[in-house]
Amino acid sequence: MPSSGLAGKIAVIGVGTTDFGRLPDRDAYDLGVWALREALADAALDFDDIDGLIVNRIPDYQRFGEIVGLNPSYTTITPGHGRFAGICIETAAAVLAAGLAHTVALVYGNNGRSAGEQYGGATDIYGSGGPGLWFPWGMTSPGAFHALMARRHMHLYGTTPDQLGSVAQTFRRHAALNPKAVMREPFDLAAYHRSRFVCEPLHLLDYCLINDGGVALILTGADRARDRPKPPVYIRGFGQRARFAGSSFPPDDFWREPMRAVARDTYEMAGLGPADMSGLMIYDNFTPTVLFSLEGFGYCGEGESGPLVGAGNLALGGRWPTNTSGGHLSESYMQGWALNVEAVRQLRGGCGERQIPDAAAIQYMAASPVVTSIVYGRAP
Amino acid sequence: MTEYKKPLPRIDGPNRPFWEAARDGRLLLQRCLDCGTWRFPAARYCPSCRGERSEWQAASGRATLESFCLFHKPYFDGFADELPYNVIQVRLEEGVQLFSNLVAVANDRAAIGMPLQARFERVTDAVTLLKFAPAEAAP
Repeated sequence: MPSSGLAGKIAVIGVGTTDFGRLPDRDAYDLGVWALREALADAALDFDDIDGLIVNRIPDYQRFGEIVGLNPSYTTITPGHGRFAGICIETAAAVLAAGLAHTVALVYGNNGRSAGEQYGGATDIYGSGGPGLWFPWGMTSPGAFHALMARRHMHLYGTTPDQLGSVAQTFRRHAALNPKAVMREPFDLAAYHRSRFVCEPLHLLDYCLINDGGVALILTGADRARDRPKPPVYIRGFGQRARFAGSSFPPDDFWREPMRAVARDTYEMAGLGPADMSGLMIYDNFTPTVLFSLEGFGYCGEGESGPLVGAGNLALGGRWPTNTSGGHLSESYMQGWALNVEAVRQLRGGCGERQIPDAAAIQYMAASPVVTSIVYGRAP
Repeated sequence: MTEYKKPLPRIDGPNRPFWEAARDGRLLLQRCLDCGTWRFPAARYCPSCRGERSEWQAASGRATLESFCLFHKPYFDGFADELPYNVIQVRLEEGVQLFSNLVAVANDRAAIGMPLQARFERVTDAVTLLKFAPAEAAP
């Protein structure tokens, strides 16, 4: 269901991020407020200019609004699942297009590190209705879910641990160029293989970080965006497709079918395709997800993602520099949000050593039971 | 019997027929009486035809191994002495998918596509877990 009429009509005018790492003195509300202040300053706007509020992962929208004294004309809140970054941004675009609000703030706060989040074991909520049913067999954690998918991908297509390792290694090299990144020490493939298995075939270095932080974005209509001090970044295309049927279990096709549907809609709306992208922001909860995404969104054929990443195509200087911030694996686990911010910062220019030269279009993609993608452009 | 330290299932909920049958060494799954689709865990409605009529029926116990992984991290204390332990993703002949454990062979014998047969492992007086062994190793 492409909404081609919306292409280039919505823009990001402000982005904000907190420090990342261990921030034990701040809860998720505080981190959200910090990020929102940064985003408002970036957009040269005030809190009172916000009339739409979309909150993610922060426990309570009412408390958040009370803390910052907001009375928006549109409010919603979504659960702290990574897939909701894309969903929320698409919702904001729809809210703006429908005229329900003029300036939407999207606010995310995550104090998972200080709160002791493990993403596995008794508190695990990943999966359809939560995975508690399978605890007696020892099954738990999104990491294990993706380890099962990785093993099957290796079996079907000959994907190698070295190829997964090269994704982790590449994103770490990018993080080394990002002063804000949590993990900045480069490593070689030997070190990747030495890192302990968490759930084999996945090593610790195949896993995203667990850290504290917050992210905010300010979106408005393209017409209003032009009078801001910083250049707007336009939403050229987007799409979404869920695969809930049978979703307690890893999908046979690595979510290829819903990704192809989202790719079709997104590229049609944007009038752009993989060949036009200056860089990619791929939801990297675990390294294999990056491979699945590249196949689903048409960057290579079925089963060909291992050789694609192994050949260095995702590195700065490669064909599609990907997760130039370091991504979830090395910059910060902001559940998709910081990747969208990185897309905006790259398109504005000024990313220093990690800048993609002459970046014109960047695609965000997230492979999960709800697949989303957003193409951002420097021009509408 | 030493104290059982691994997580135990809730056996008195909607999946009660499954757990009661497992204790008797039988595999029962919910089946839609309108379209015949099998399902697990229990739900009031059939995900295929949304029908509400169902009953628990005996399944074959024949399955295929779709994937496997090895846990090196003890998310649950009860598994700490068995690291690394395997978890398998299986598809039963009836179409239902499950997570379980591969038993009767070493972890390095796990192979995607291998035929499996249900095995029942009594872990407490009340609870028997459905596990799987390679089909050729089944008694």
